[in-house]
Amino acid sequence: MPVLALVSKELKLLVRDWHALLLLFVMPAVFILVMSLALQDSFASHQSVRVHYYLVDADISPVSVALVKRLGSLNEFKILPADAPVAELIDRVRHDRAQFIIRIPAGFGKAMQSEKPLAVQMLAGPDVEPAIYKLFEVALHDVLARVYLQATMAPLPSQMTGTDGMAIGGGNLDAADKLLDAQSLYQEGGVSMRPSSVQQNVPAWLLFAMFFIAIPLSTTWVQERQQGTYARLRSMGLSARALLLGKLLPYLAVNLLQVVLMLAVGVFVVPWIGGGRLTLGHAPLALCLIAVAVSFASVAYALLIANLVSTSEQATIFTGVSNLLMAAVGGIMVPRFLMPPMMQALSQFSPMSWGLQGFLDVFLHRGGLKTVAPQAAYLFAFGLACLTIAGILLSMRKRK
Amino acid sequence: MIEVEGLSFRYPGAEHEAIRGLSLRVRRGSLFGLLGPNGSGKTTLISILTGLLSSPSGQIRIDGKILPAQTREIQVFSALVPQDYAFYLRLSVMENLRFFGGVLAIPAAELRDRLSEALAVAGLESFTAVRAEHLSGGLKRRLNLAIGLLNRPQLLFLDEPTVGIDPQSRHFILDAIKRLNAHGTTVVYTSHYMQEVEMLCDEIGILDDGSLLACGTLQQLLYDTAGHALTVTLTALPTAQQRAALNAIAGIDYQDNEIRLDKCSENDLKRIIAILTVEGLGIDRMQYGYGNLEELFLHLTGRQLKD
Repeated sequence: MPVLALVSKELKLLVRDWHALLLLFVMPAVFILVMSLALQDSFASHQSVRVHYYLVDADISPVSVALVKRLGSLNEFKILPADAPVAELIDRVRHDRAQFIIRIPAGFGKAMQSEKPLAVQMLAGPDVEPAIYKLFEVALHDVLARVYLQATMAPLPSQMTGTDGMAIGGGNLDAADKLLDAQSLYQEGGVSMRPSSVQQNVPAWLLFAMFFIAIPLSTTWVQERQQGTYARLRSMGLSARALLLGKLLPYLAVNLLQVVLMLAVGVFVVPWIGGGRLTLGHAPLALCLIAVAVSFASVAYALLIANLVSTSEQATIFTGVSNLLMAAVGGIMVPRFLMPPMMQALSQFSPMSWGLQGFLDVFLHRGGLKTVAPQAAYLFAFGLACLTIAGILLSMRKRK
Repeated sequence: MIEVEGLSFRYPGAEHEAIRGLSLRVRRGSLFGLLGPNGSGKTTLISILTGLLSSPSGQIRIDGKILPAQTREIQVFSALVPQDYAFYLRLSVMENLRFFGGVLAIPAAELRDRLSEALAVAGLESFTAVRAEHLSGGLKRRLNLAIGLLNRPQLLFLDEPTVGIDPQSRHFILDAIKRLNAHGTTVVYTSHYMQEVEMLCDEIGILDDGSLLACGTLQQLLYDTAGHALTVTLTALPTAQQRAALNAIAGIDYQDNEIRLDKCSENDLKRIIAILTVEGLGIDRMQYGYGNLEELFLHLTGRQLKD
C-alpha cells in the first residue's frame, strides 16, 4: 500500500517537526482566540458598549433634559462623564480617547419650535470609521426626532399623539433634520471635513506591509546559514554585530522605500482611480520619525525571527501568523475602540499599535514630533530588544 | 604551525564529547591529511581551529598564538574552505570574490591583485561574469577554493574540497593545492578519498570517535604505527602438524588458508618463512605492513558502519 506508506511517512515527519506543530496548532489557536475577542459583538449588550462619547448640555431645559435622558437609554453608546472644560473634551475626542462629543447649545429647547432652531453639535474623532460615524449620526437623529415630536405634540391631547404623521400638532419631521450639525474633527487645509477612508486605512495597511519585510530577510538569512556562508564569514572574523548590521541597514532602506511608495500610492494612484486622496499631515519630521521607528522595529523583529527559526518554511509561516496576530491585537484589523477592555489593554503591547497610533497622529490628529515621540520611543526600544535577543541567539549558535 | 594539547569539546546538550583529549602537531609548510569516518570529529576539530566553535578545553596554539584568546589574529593569516558551497549563488564569480574581499577589508589597491591571483589558482578567469548558480559542480568547488585564497593564507583548512566532482576538476584542485603548499602554505586537508590523501599529504592523522588513532608520515603509518602486521595466504589449508609448527610463534592466527600476525618483528618474519619452507607450505600471497592507507584506515577504525 504505497499511499499508506506515504501517509505514514508524512505523519511521522510532521510529528517530529515541533516548529511545524507549533505553527499548525498553537498559533492558529491563539489567532482564533485573539480575533474572536477583538471582533466580539460590541453592540450585543449594554456591557459590551465600545463607542464612547461626551455629552455637554449647555441648555438645561426640559427639552434638553429629555434629550439627555433618551440618549442615556441608548445601550449601544456610552456617555463618558464630562469632567473637563469643553475644549479639553474636544481635544480628547481628537486624540481618540472618545469617539464623539455632543454639545447641546444654550437655548436649544426654547428655539426648537422657532423659525431659527439651534442645532445639536455632533463632533466625531478623526479615527472614527464611516460606518460608526453614520450609525451614531442616525441614532442621534432618531433621538432628536423623537424629542422634537414629543416637544411639539405636548400641547395636544394625549390620545391624538402618534409618530407616523408628517405634521402632528404643528410638528414637522423635516424640521428635526435642522436640529443636528454633525462634523468630524479632522481638518485639511484648516477646513473641517470627514477624513476619507484612504486617510484612515493607509496607515494601518502600510504598517502591516512593513512588518512583512521579515519574510525575505529571514528566508535569506536561513539560506545563508544552511549554505555555510555564515560559517565562512565568521571564520573571516566577522562579528555577530557586523552580521546583524549588514542585514539591518539595507533592509531598513528597503522598508523606508516601501513607505515612500505606499504613501505615493495613497497620494497619487488612489485619487487617479477615483478614491480619496491621502494627505500626509502637517509634520514631515514627525512622519519621518515614526516611519524610521516602525522600520527599525520591523527589521529588528525580522532579524529575531531569522535567528529563531531553522528553515525558510518556518520563517515564512511564523512571520505570516505572528504579523496577523500583532495586526489583530494592534487595531489594524479591528478599530481598538471596538475591542473589549481586556483586548484594548493588550493592544497597548503590540508594536503595530504603537506604529499605527504614530501614523494616525500625523495623518489624522495634526500631531507633531512631540506627539509621536512616545510611540517612536516604544518602537525603538522594541527594536533594540529584538536585536539584543537576535545577537544572543547568533552568538549561541557558535557553541552549537 | 598547529599545536593541540589535550583538546576536548562537547556540544551543548550532547551526551558524549565530540573531541576527547586530542593532541596533535602540524608542522609549518606541511600538507596534513585529516582522515576519519563520518562523525569522527574532523569538521568539529576544524571548526574549533578556525574559531567557529568556542569553549573547548585543552590548549591550542597556532603559529604561537593562543586559541581562543587570539582568534582574530589567527583568522587574519588562516582561511577555511568549507565543505558546502559557502558563497552566494545569485552573485557572479567576480561579485562573490569582491564581496568576500570587502569582508576581509582588503585595501582597494591590493584587491585587484588578490582577485587575479585567486582566479588564476582556481582557473576561473573565463567565468568571472557567470552567476555562481550557473556554474558546474567542479567550478563551484573552484570558486569555493578561490574565496579561501583571498587573504593569502599561511594556513589553509580544506574540508573535503573535492566532494562530488569529476576526475578532471578533482585533479585540477589537487594540483592547485600542491602548488599552494609548494609556495609555503600549510594545508590541513580532510577527505574520504584515501588515494587523494596518499598522493597529496606528507603527514596524516586518523581520527575516530573524537580521538586521534594515528599520526605521522604515510611511511610511518604504513610500516611503523600499524606494528608490522603480516598476512600470508597459503596455497593450501595447513594440516594440524603444520599448524603446531607455526604455533611456536606467539600470537599467530588462522583463518582458512590465511595466517595472520598483527605484531610481527623482523625475526618473527624470518622464522615464519623458515617454518613454511620446512613444512612445504606454498605461499600464494604475502603482505608485511599495510599496502595502502585504506587498509590501515579500516584496520584502525574498524569495518563496521559508523553512522
